[in-house]
Amino acid sequence: MRQAENTLFTIVMLIYFASMILYFVFIAIKKDRLAGAAALLQTVGLVLHSAAILLRGLAAGRLPLTNQYEFATCFAWGLCLVSLIFIRRFRFPMLGAFAAPVIFLIIGYAAMQSKEIHELMPALRSNWLGVHVSTAIIAYGAFGVSFVLSIIFLIRDRLRDSSFWDRHVPTHEKLDLISYRSVCLGLLFLTFTILTGAIWAERAWGSYWSWDPKETWSLVTWIVYAVYLHLRIRRGWRGKAAAVFAAVGFVCVIFTYIGVNTFLPGIHSYA
Amino acid sequence: MAKKIFKFISSMRFAICLLILLAICCALGSFVTQNQSFAWYAERYSERTAAWITALQLNDLYHSWWFLGISLFLCCNLLLCNIIRLPQLILRTREAGDPSGIGGAQVQAYAEHVDRPEELFQRLHMPKPRRTELDGQAALFSSAHRAGLWGAWVCHIGILLLIAGFTLGQATHQEYAVYGVAGQTRQIGDTQLFLTIDDFQIDLRRDDTVSQYTSQITVRDLSGKNALSRQASISVNHPATLFGYRFYQNSTGWAARVRVEKGDEALQDEVLCAGEYLPIEDLPDLVIFFHAFYPDLIMDPAGGPRTASGQLNNPGYLYSVYYQNQIVGMNVLTGDETITIDDYTVTFSEPQSYTVIQCKRDRFSFLALVGGLAAMLGLFLAFYLQPKRVWAVSEQTGGWSFHGACPKMGALFRDQFEEAVRAISE
Repeated sequence: MRQAENTLFTIVMLIYFASMILYFVFIAIKKDRLAGAAALLQTVGLVLHSAAILLRGLAAGRLPLTNQYEFATCFAWGLCLVSLIFIRRFRFPMLGAFAAPVIFLIIGYAAMQSKEIHELMPALRSNWLGVHVSTAIIAYGAFGVSFVLSIIFLIRDRLRDSSFWDRHVPTHEKLDLISYRSVCLGLLFLTFTILTGAIWAERAWGSYWSWDPKETWSLVTWIVYAVYLHLRIRRGWRGKAAAVFAAVGFVCVIFTYIGVNTFLPGIHSYA
Repeated sequence: MAKKIFKFISSMRFAICLLILLAICCALGSFVTQNQSFAWYAERYSERTAAWITALQLNDLYHSWWFLGISLFLCCNLLLCNIIRLPQLILRTREAGDPSGIGGAQVQAYAEHVDRPEELFQRLHMPKPRRTELDGQAALFSSAHRAGLWGAWVCHIGILLLIAGFTLGQATHQEYAVYGVAGQTRQIGDTQLFLTIDDFQIDLRRDDTVSQYTSQITVRDLSGKNALSRQASISVNHPATLFGYRFYQNSTGWAARVRVEKGDEALQDEVLCAGEYLPIEDLPDLVIFFHAFYPDLIMDPAGGPRTASGQLNNPGYLYSVYYQNQIVGMNVLTGDETITIDDYTVTFSEPQSYTVIQCKRDRFSFLALVGGLAAMLGLFLAFYLQPKRVWAVSEQTGGWSFHGACPKMGALFRDQFEEAVRAISE
């Protein structure tokens, strides 16, 4: 089963890579059909990715959400899922072109991690694991999409003369609103992640909040996105400043996920 | 002046400043190792940096006066903001259900031939419209998701409760750690509760990794006239609540039976946990310190002791002897080896696991939980119940004019609205 999971994971990586190339070709030769083909390829990748995660879970006999490899592959899955939903919901195929490299980078990071399956320590053997980490995956995926949208927002001005870009990239106002929707999704799920994490921590460690670096950085990320929301309400800050803040928020997300484990070990060091 | 200060403290600008400050402080606290001594910081950084860290209370940042100050200001800001907004919110909620607010529509469209104007409401997922009259014209009106107006307000209340619950809990909670081996009874801190460890089990997997730690405990309450007693089984992730306290399976370690003999006469016989001292009663200046236990002792290439597995294949006891607070000896005992000091013999035997049980009472944790849930609910209301209003007015020309408002969805709502109007007029 592990062999099958490894093979499937490699195929998924290749599919995501191919989809990214297809998106690039779509931008280069400006053929609209290619965007649809790339999105379709990405959807196939997502289905196979789900199967790979399922196989991993079956091989481990538990939810595959406990170490850097497992979380990274699920993070890429979450980002792919949320970006496909947003592409469909807002009829915005260009989003896929910008999301694909980020998805490929994250799954590439997963490929560099150890794929060994380890037994869980007692603290991790809880039903809260599934709820806590799966909500984090959706939150991170949504923040990833908002990051991509912010990048598109920030570079849109440089592309405004091109009719191709005008046709495929929504106006600043709509980009801002779509980014806001993805931040809303992410923040709701991040709040749920923090809340379920606190309930679980109380049961496992006897304290629902202990200022562990992972907890602290989740809070920092939450605050950054809360500032983003407040900035949007204030007149004059909607748009560029909010886009910059959404991008900074994603930097915090990445730091919470990778940076904290690398530089600030704590009780979440296994994650 | 007071009015200006009040206005500033309740402003969103102040809230944004506080949030940014709070984020910076939290991040800073994660980089500076917390709750260490001046000497620790001086060794790690420099004397000067250590002086700055302690002077600015960066060593206990999350309890520092300035961190608490920022949190307090944030609470004041949230509270004032919510109080100020309450009347406006009530008014806006009333207005949202009033068809006469058509002037607030953001988007308008006109269609000449429309058979069923109600279809527009269906297409926009609005509740069934009600018939009304606007400026003498027949009209249809529907309003949806008014509860969404209250999202931010509920979220702010939730955050306030969360902060209040956490702060009160921190200030008033009682927390104790009790450790021992099966059969031992310990008093829980300064309470009238006594905890007996009936049994302690470590479930190991085939690869020697730990699957679960489980303690069977009995707690007796001696505070009343009649002693009450309750039993529970606790394991990691499965705490128990007894006499208003929560009992958690915290950690474990090794203990051993330590005997002190003089010739054939047994002087002391105690169970000592790793990390504990045993003063020799006959020799007041002499203390044995039990550092660590190695169930399957091997020596690493550098000559240091370590364990090859969790199995009791080759027990080794690392100890040191202190005389008048000065270390005078340190070694690892294996097999039948003993420590001999003059006529006294010290032996280590019967290694067994001890359990550490955390006992806690936090009367305000429920408040924090309610706050967290309210914040979640508020965010859901704010993000996913977008208040919107739609009007369809029968015009004298025979056509229908349509009006819509959904401030949070802006251009996205405009697109949906225009598409729906197009669809029903085709």
